[in-house]
Amino acid sequence: MVTKTEETQLERLENQVDNGGGGAWEYLCLVRKLKVRRSEKVLEHGLSILNDPKKRSTLGPEGDFVSSNAEWTLYEQVAIAAMDCHSIDVARDCIKVLRKNFPESKRVGRLEAMLLEAKGSWAEAEKAYSSLLEDNPLDQVVLKRKVATAKAQGDISGAIECLNKYLETFMADHDAWRELAEIYVSLQMYKQAAFCYEELILSQPTVPLYHLAYADVLYTLGGLENLQAAKKYYASTIDLTGGKNTRALFGVCLCTSAIGQLAKGRNKEEKENPELQSLAAAALEKDYKQRAPGKLSLVTAALKSLKVSS
Amino acid sequence: MAEDLVLDTPIRDWVLIPLSVVMVLIGVLRYFVSKLMRSFQVPDAKIVKEGQVIVRARNLRAGANFIPPKSFRARRFYFSNEENGLLHVPKGQSQNAQAAQMFSDPNMATDMMKKNLSMIIPQTLTFAWVNFFFSGFVAAKIPFPLTQRFRSMLQNGIDLSTVNVSYVSSRSWYFLNLFGLRGLFSLILGEENAVDDAQRMMQMGGGFGFDPTKNLSAEKDSIDIIQHEWALPKFEQRAEAVLRKLVH
Repeated sequence: MVTKTEETQLERLENQVDNGGGGAWEYLCLVRKLKVRRSEKVLEHGLSILNDPKKRSTLGPEGDFVSSNAEWTLYEQVAIAAMDCHSIDVARDCIKVLRKNFPESKRVGRLEAMLLEAKGSWAEAEKAYSSLLEDNPLDQVVLKRKVATAKAQGDISGAIECLNKYLETFMADHDAWRELAEIYVSLQMYKQAAFCYEELILSQPTVPLYHLAYADVLYTLGGLENLQAAKKYYASTIDLTGGKNTRALFGVCLCTSAIGQLAKGRNKEEKENPELQSLAAAALEKDYKQRAPGKLSLVTAALKSLKVSS
Repeated sequence: MAEDLVLDTPIRDWVLIPLSVVMVLIGVLRYFVSKLMRSFQVPDAKIVKEGQVIVRARNLRAGANFIPPKSFRARRFYFSNEENGLLHVPKGQSQNAQAAQMFSDPNMATDMMKKNLSMIIPQTLTFAWVNFFFSGFVAAKIPFPLTQRFRSMLQNGIDLSTVNVSYVSSRSWYFLNLFGLRGLFSLILGEENAVDDAQRMMQMGGGFGFDPTKNLSAEKDSIDIIQHEWALPKFEQRAEAVLRKLVH
């Protein structure tokens, strides 16, 4: 997770580097440390360091004097960024340099396989990954890459299979759960997706996005019980975001009206408290009034139709 | 009470400084030796999985109130049912099996040997060296007074109760260096490479007789006794409060 302070620091450094203020290496280090995806910037600034022998030679002392492998780390970083930006030639050059220096390395082997993947030669890439897995069957990066290759080829069920196998062992990896949830949603397998989102909520109970996504899935599943649960999760999203999430506000309104429709014929022993909905509607109207006055009439009409039907 | 001792400058030049320099050099040397001997070890799938299971079970315990009761019960069953629950440890597979596996795996044993050797050998050698050449020196004086309790820390190797406590004996200087050079190592060897003796000693203590199955069954017990109380209904009221504040 990237914290607020880290993000502002990154932003500041990025600005500084973009405007020619130096500090490119620090910026690249920070990007690597925070694991953020800024491939274009990394490619641009990383290449400017690598192509300038004077700058490159100063990398050593800035790392530390014993391990002067800062340069190689940079090559790896630039290679991955280049593949992300589809600058295959740059990536190939970087990997070639690395291969020359580390002829036996598995890590370079991984990069080579990724290059094959970036070029779109799936079969070869998969073969390379499989041979890497033979050496170390628990290599998380390679296992994830296999999922990505399957997904890139459009083999969604293969990707799901790979991910499930991965999660069987690495079941505490919430990023993988998230990926799986999104795949299931894209396939409209909402029950499975709901399970994945539950897992995400368990691992990070205070991230409102997971509550919101879970509520969306529950609402889509439908049924009285799910709708009530969805409303609760929309409510928790509102609480966690301080009422700033428009989607959650709409969600509460939709859920209330849907619950009202479903429960119309039945006994109304547990009356849903209507106040939450009216408050959400009021919050929505206020929000629209402030930020998009032109669309206010549309929102009021939509909300009114919801209220009428409930 | 003795008068102020005057420390000869050769003591500084031939005891205090050489001792520190040697300690630093040995630290650097040891770093390289351990780097040479470090073998990449393919982690055991079972152990990795057990660790992940424990993390996930812990997550379940911490966040249990955030998921609906039905989902929680399904998960609890998944983790702790008696047939094939992930946290359920079959009776036959007790600590003995674990210990036997540890000793039957030669790779593990040699790895541990290497780790310990790279730590113990230089340590005993330097200690012997310090003891042999520098025993009984008063090597330094700290510039502030200290209470008697510090005597065993600062004047190891000098059995005189009349010496002012702020004098440091050479052997104590060795120990201070041994445990205090971590910051310097992290400067010259890079952040994560610091050779931390104190930490290693602790690891050594915990390394033996560690039994993951015990962890599993402890986690199972604590999952079994959780009272699930869904927190979400409360959130509706909280959301109402939030919105009320926002609207008005």
